[in-house]
Amino acid sequence: MTHSKRIPLRFGVVLGLALLLLAVVVLAPQLCPHDPNAQTFAPLQPPSLAHWCGTDRYGRDLFSRVLVGLQTSVCATLALVAGITAVGTAVGVACGYWGGVLDAVAMRVCDVCLAFPGLVLALALATLFQGGLLQAVLALGLVSWPKYARMARSQTLTLKQADFIQAAKLAGDTGGQLLRRHMLPHILGPILVTATLDLGTMMMELAGLSFLGLGAQPPTAELGSMISGGRSMMQTHPWVIFAPGGAMFVAVAICNLVGDGVRDYLDPRNSGRPLYDK
Amino acid sequence: MKQKNRRWAAGLALCLALGLLAGCSPSPQEKTPSTTFVLGDTTFNPENEEPDVNPHNDYSGWACIRYGIGETLFRYTDHMELEPWLATGYEQVDETTWTITLREGVTFSSGRAMDGQAVKECLEHLVQVHDRAAGDLMVESITAQGQTVTVHTTQPNPTFLHHLCDPYACIIDMEAGVTQEGMVVGTGPYVAASLVSGEELQLVRNGAYWDGEPGYASITVLTISDGDTLTMALQAGEIDGAYGLPYASYPLFDTEDYTRSSCATSRVFFVSMNFESSVVQDPAVRAAIAMGIDKERFVDTLLDGNGYPAAGAFPDYLSFGGEAVSAKGYNPQAARDTLEAAGWVDTDGDGIREKDGQRLTIRWLTYPSRQELPLLAEAAQATLKEIGVEVVIQSTADHNRLRADPTTWDVYASAMVTAPTGDGEYFFSTHCLASSVANNGHYSNAKLEQLADRMAQTFDPEAREELAVEMQRVLLEDDAFVFCSHLQMSMVTQSDVTGLVAHPCDFYEITVDLAPAQG
Amino acid sequence: MRGYVCRRMIQLIVMLFVITFLSFAMIRLAGSDAVEQKMENTGMALSQEVVDRAREELGLDQPFLTQYGVWLWGLLHGDMGTSYISDREVLPTFLEKLPATLLLTAVSLALTVVISVPLGVLAAVRQNRWTDYLLRCGSFVGNSLPNFLVALLLMYVFAIRLRVFPVIARDVSLHSVVLPSLTLAIAMSAKYLRQVRAVVLEELGQDYVVGAAARGVPFSVTLVRSVLRGALVPLVTLLALSVGSLLGGTALVESIFLWDGVGKLAVDAIEMRDYPMIQAYVMWMAVLYVAVNLAADLCYQALDPRIRLGGGDA
Repeated sequence: MTHSKRIPLRFGVVLGLALLLLAVVVLAPQLCPHDPNAQTFAPLQPPSLAHWCGTDRYGRDLFSRVLVGLQTSVCATLALVAGITAVGTAVGVACGYWGGVLDAVAMRVCDVCLAFPGLVLALALATLFQGGLLQAVLALGLVSWPKYARMARSQTLTLKQADFIQAAKLAGDTGGQLLRRHMLPHILGPILVTATLDLGTMMMELAGLSFLGLGAQPPTAELGSMISGGRSMMQTHPWVIFAPGGAMFVAVAICNLVGDGVRDYLDPRNSGRPLYDK
Repeated sequence: MKQKNRRWAAGLALCLALGLLAGCSPSPQEKTPSTTFVLGDTTFNPENEEPDVNPHNDYSGWACIRYGIGETLFRYTDHMELEPWLATGYEQVDETTWTITLREGVTFSSGRAMDGQAVKECLEHLVQVHDRAAGDLMVESITAQGQTVTVHTTQPNPTFLHHLCDPYACIIDMEAGVTQEGMVVGTGPYVAASLVSGEELQLVRNGAYWDGEPGYASITVLTISDGDTLTMALQAGEIDGAYGLPYASYPLFDTEDYTRSSCATSRVFFVSMNFESSVVQDPAVRAAIAMGIDKERFVDTLLDGNGYPAAGAFPDYLSFGGEAVSAKGYNPQAARDTLEAAGWVDTDGDGIREKDGQRLTIRWLTYPSRQELPLLAEAAQATLKEIGVEVVIQSTADHNRLRADPTTWDVYASAMVTAPTGDGEYFFSTHCLASSVANNGHYSNAKLEQLADRMAQTFDPEAREELAVEMQRVLLEDDAFVFCSHLQMSMVTQSDVTGLVAHPCDFYEITVDLAPAQG
Repeated sequence: MRGYVCRRMIQLIVMLFVITFLSFAMIRLAGSDAVEQKMENTGMALSQEVVDRAREELGLDQPFLTQYGVWLWGLLHGDMGTSYISDREVLPTFLEKLPATLLLTAVSLALTVVISVPLGVLAAVRQNRWTDYLLRCGSFVGNSLPNFLVALLLMYVFAIRLRVFPVIARDVSLHSVVLPSLTLAIAMSAKYLRQVRAVVLEELGQDYVVGAAARGVPFSVTLVRSVLRGALVPLVTLLALSVGSLLGGTALVESIFLWDGVGKLAVDAIEMRDYPMIQAYVMWMAVLYVAVNLAADLCYQALDPRIRLGGGDA
């Protein structure tokens, strides 16, 4: 994309927020008021000036843990979602566009991955890989990329018949150009929205795997497992669960806004003005 | 355009309202009549080997005895001493012969009288189909005469009577048999009426109960595996009593509206050392670990006070448990000194000690299904780091396979029942001897083996207790195990219920005393 | 068309073989077995002889391929085996759980569509205005809250504070299905709402919308007749994915609300290494997957005749 379109102000604000989130994520260890792993305070204190988010049951400062947890979660999730989106879209578009044997084989692999219960696979992988966050990302990636492949494929199939694609074909565009110039921008919109939406889900799923021994190992802070770990304390010590929950919300919201912004920006037809107005 | 949007909004609101209404049908909150008691329980399911209430099937005896269907010949007092229950007394004729006198006037809920013949049939069937019972009881032959049964064992069996208290030894009417659902006929205050495995058990009052009038006309036991659901169901009044609540929710029930009954159990959180591991083989390292775990803090903050620090393997209601032995306490300075003296020094200044180029890293294996174990691991990780020991935690559902391979771990933390029968022999024979199934760290001590052999031949209870104390001392001297905490369990009921009392052996829950509160 | 369905059936059979074999292999890779799991749950150590005998009884001492062969042979004779844990026959146990799962799926999907489609359209039509922002913000909340938290919050509000719905579902009824399905619907609506918004925006940008406006066709007519229709294809894709995962059971929600469906059955079976039960579940998932996709493909064709069936499914 060249600067043929100006970046709208609204998107600018969103981008600013995203940069802020990124800065927090990168600088998390420096921003922590306390050592996130030091079990030195009275446990389960409610939020106060000294501990903005209170302390957890081990007597650790929750605010520091939320910051560091945000770093772990955001990095792992972004890597995961970026990976599966890229692989899934590439496979899906190729299948939809060229069809044939490639399509048949790739789709059967997708079928097996999608139809296979994720928990069984995760369990087996947990044993093979022996813990670790990277392993959890791999395990989850392995079961979730086909969803994107299928989405991209069905979008491509619909789009292939569209008039403007046919026109571009008649005008002499070759496969690669067609894909890049005309198809990808259309396909990327919905996929990006799905991907940004998946961020929250994926963060939680990563936490879910820690039960199997996959995922961040203690004492590493990680938002998803902080939320699940505080589960029984919802009524008695709500901050233990709502501090990481709030951080998760902010991260997910910003990612989603960015996704929307990118979608609006990529969409060749969208002028950014509300339709049917005035 | 404005108006159109408004119309849209109205249509949308209507859609939503309709959608929500379609899903709801108004229903008044039903107040459970006080003649029925509903108990929520987290453990009554096939996953815990309690698929039904037939004592001769796996661990289903626990359900049989807990829910007041069956009773055993002997039972434990609150101090885990034996007392007669369906029996009135016994006589040990010689080392392998026991004569038990049965209580008069007890009938099964089928109407059959509980006599020697009935008990003989029941026990014979038990040892025939139940491997664990057969191994424990060592029955050679049983003879019945009137209200007495005489049992010959294949070899001297000092814990014979203890094993008769085990839930598998509930006396059931074999003539009435076992239904397809796994229901049996016992002598207890309640009679099983219907059963759906892993979901629900319906009980009705045994009108002809021998020891008083049971308090409720009927009882429902619901299997609620999720602790938070159990909490909320009790709060919402949908159940009258709960077993297995998460500790974090106890404060919610420390009000006038609820009654809580707690007691210590023989479940112990402990760490086993791996004697195949080159690091842990060093006695200084083992001693440092024992002195580097803050048991008090674990109990106070992570168990919310629902337990007490352990010294040895056994809880303090047993005469050979609790403070009968003493263990190293939390003492970071002494731990540092010990390590220092053994040559473990932090040479590169990263806070972790080394010796001969080897870093002092402990691989801590544990599992998450007992939710306090990861907490113990994380707490120990922090305190051990203070003394220069790095702990790498591996908390995985796959721990059973891993611990069988001594190269994959250095210490293994678990939570096991150490004295299910109130006797010490079980723990040593399953965890500490060369022949023990659960001795994955390959600990061995010749003196301990000798003491164990002597225990297997000893009938005198006091001598057995002394042996149990001595054997614990051996374990602690070797720092082969670090016993961290005993677990306390609680049952909570609505305040309009009385008589649901926690018992140390965890066998007795619903008894004849369970009743609606008076006034 | 018939050829297409036939191909799908053959594909199903092949897939069943591949998937059941894979799951058989993987669950064994995962280590432990039913005997060990039971031992661990009771907290008692058993002697090696007892463990060995229990393994022998279940055939767990046999080599892997023999075990698979035995299972397959049974299956071909219509016998799916008996559960290692409950000792009950697998097929009836499994079928018993289906009605609850079907009801939960139907109600939560209906709720999801009812919530997300109108709201999504509204957000698109009011793009970048406060209504839009509010709705999107709501969807972020729905999207970042884990299911169990939504479930516990709903329980707390509706069962403990207001006491209108029960905490635990003692029966499978419309009254007891509300909270579990609402839990699922909230998370799904958050996704759907934004997806609907995106596709509707996409459609609104199409030339025909401008054309219709120019010809004086009322906006609501264009919206319902053309825009929503165009938005249906991506929606069907989403629905197909959701139906599949919902019918496969939602273990967490099921166990929180004591909703007796296949999800909880499956997770318990996997945790306990109850091989025959796991196999039944895996087969159900495969059948479901093929069926849902078949239905979705047929829907695509009905909705958009430009898509040729079977083109990519040789």
